[in-house]
Amino acid sequence: MKKESILPESRDTAFRDQVLKTHVGEKILTCMQCGTCAGSCPVSHEMDYTPRQLVRMVQLGLKKEVLSSNTIWICTTCFSCSVRCPRGIHPTELMEALKPIAVAEGITNKNAKFDNIFSNIIKNSGRASEFLLISRYSLAEPGMIKQLPFGLSMMTKGKLPLSIDRMENTGELEAIFKLGEPKKEINGIKEKETGKEKEPEPAKTEENKTAEAETKK
Amino acid sequence: MKYSYYPGCASHGTAVDYRSSVEAVFSRLGIGLEEVKNWNCCGALHVPDRTVKTALSARTLASAKGLDMATPCNLCYSNLMRARTELQDSTLRTRVNEALTEKYDGNTKPKHLLEVIVKDLGLPKLQEQVKKPLKIRAVPYYGCLLTRPENNFDSTENPRSLDDLILSLGAVPVKYYYKTKCCGGPILITNEDLALNLAKELLVMAKESGADCIVVTCPMCHLQLDAKQKEVESKYDIKIDLPVIYFTQLIGLAMGLDPKNLGLSQHLVPTDKLITKIGGK
Repeated sequence: MKKESILPESRDTAFRDQVLKTHVGEKILTCMQCGTCAGSCPVSHEMDYTPRQLVRMVQLGLKKEVLSSNTIWICTTCFSCSVRCPRGIHPTELMEALKPIAVAEGITNKNAKFDNIFSNIIKNSGRASEFLLISRYSLAEPGMIKQLPFGLSMMTKGKLPLSIDRMENTGELEAIFKLGEPKKEINGIKEKETGKEKEPEPAKTEENKTAEAETKK
Repeated sequence: MKYSYYPGCASHGTAVDYRSSVEAVFSRLGIGLEEVKNWNCCGALHVPDRTVKTALSARTLASAKGLDMATPCNLCYSNLMRARTELQDSTLRTRVNEALTEKYDGNTKPKHLLEVIVKDLGLPKLQEQVKKPLKIRAVPYYGCLLTRPENNFDSTENPRSLDDLILSLGAVPVKYYYKTKCCGGPILITNEDLALNLAKELLVMAKESGADCIVVTCPMCHLQLDAKQKEVESKYDIKIDLPVIYFTQLIGLAMGLDPKNLGLSQHLVPTDKLITKIGGK
């Protein structure tokens, strides 16, 4: 296999720092590339880059490659890698943290679409009605039509009710989902949500700089 | 014994059979399950924002009224456990609590129903209720999120609780090396080929073990292994025909409860042969 060299200009340190600042970022630099995560992953054979490679790529700041790979989207969130990592890096949580960054960068794919539909259903009705979920996703992904016979067989068994399951009182949901709204917030927990005035904290200033650097690119 | 009960969304849809068996078995065991009023989804694996997801679980945990919170679903259990850990961070907790009417105080313990039976009730107590020891061989399948990333009650790498439960019902738990390997459920809708491939691996290994059924603890695993079994068979041109039953259904059968009340007729892989072998109706 031909080895590709990584040119300094393809490395995006702002991206690296952005990931290092997330709740899982702290330990990422300690990765010793042992490969336990890749060996434990049930779907690594289908990934563009294994979890081990992805961690290294984050360290190097290979933003484009990381965010456009299928790795973060086909992770089944089984946590095998996370519980086995000798350095406590939690690759599963890293994938979770990378998803919103990818979406913010304009990456769209069927997994992101599904997550978005799922999220919106919870936001509106508080519960995930499978029928609603599947039908909305099918409208977005026409290939789903071939799942129709399966859906019908589930209905015959009384396992896919057409009625929408919702909470009686969805009042609190708005406030809960607001917690995730602010644009600058990438899994950060430091800041209050009112958002209008920003306190001049050093950490935040840096983060703003990062954000600015991102948008200039 | 009394618990606050968080059924999760699947119990109103693809897992109505699980729900019936939980109700039948727990009432026979005299374990009270008080359903959380106006409960909300835990966010499963698809609400991308971490704070929102934590807050969804926090809201549920806050409504437990001093009881431990029991749930039948591996995903719900895992999310409740993760949220509990994350909310030890007081900054996050304060922030989340600002959004909640009933405040989260950190006192509610999440428990999977398997834990309630194996640890809290205890297997000797369960055995007292066994009317019909099950003379079958069963695959104990735990799935991912019962033991990972964190749990209260069993080993992450080599859990035993379900094996022990099967044994206490008079059945033989077969050696199953994939007992915590992922079934592919979370990517079933979006990456079907890959998900079916994972399910195939599990099903083939289970079939080769010569077991009479697979026992699961999670609606997502059940969907993958039972409801999708036919598709796996036709896609890979193999014959599996292996019933997949919830651990509560297994308990119910050993108690001599009517299979209909346990939701066993709602499976996609027929369970008749298994029920006949056990000597049920």
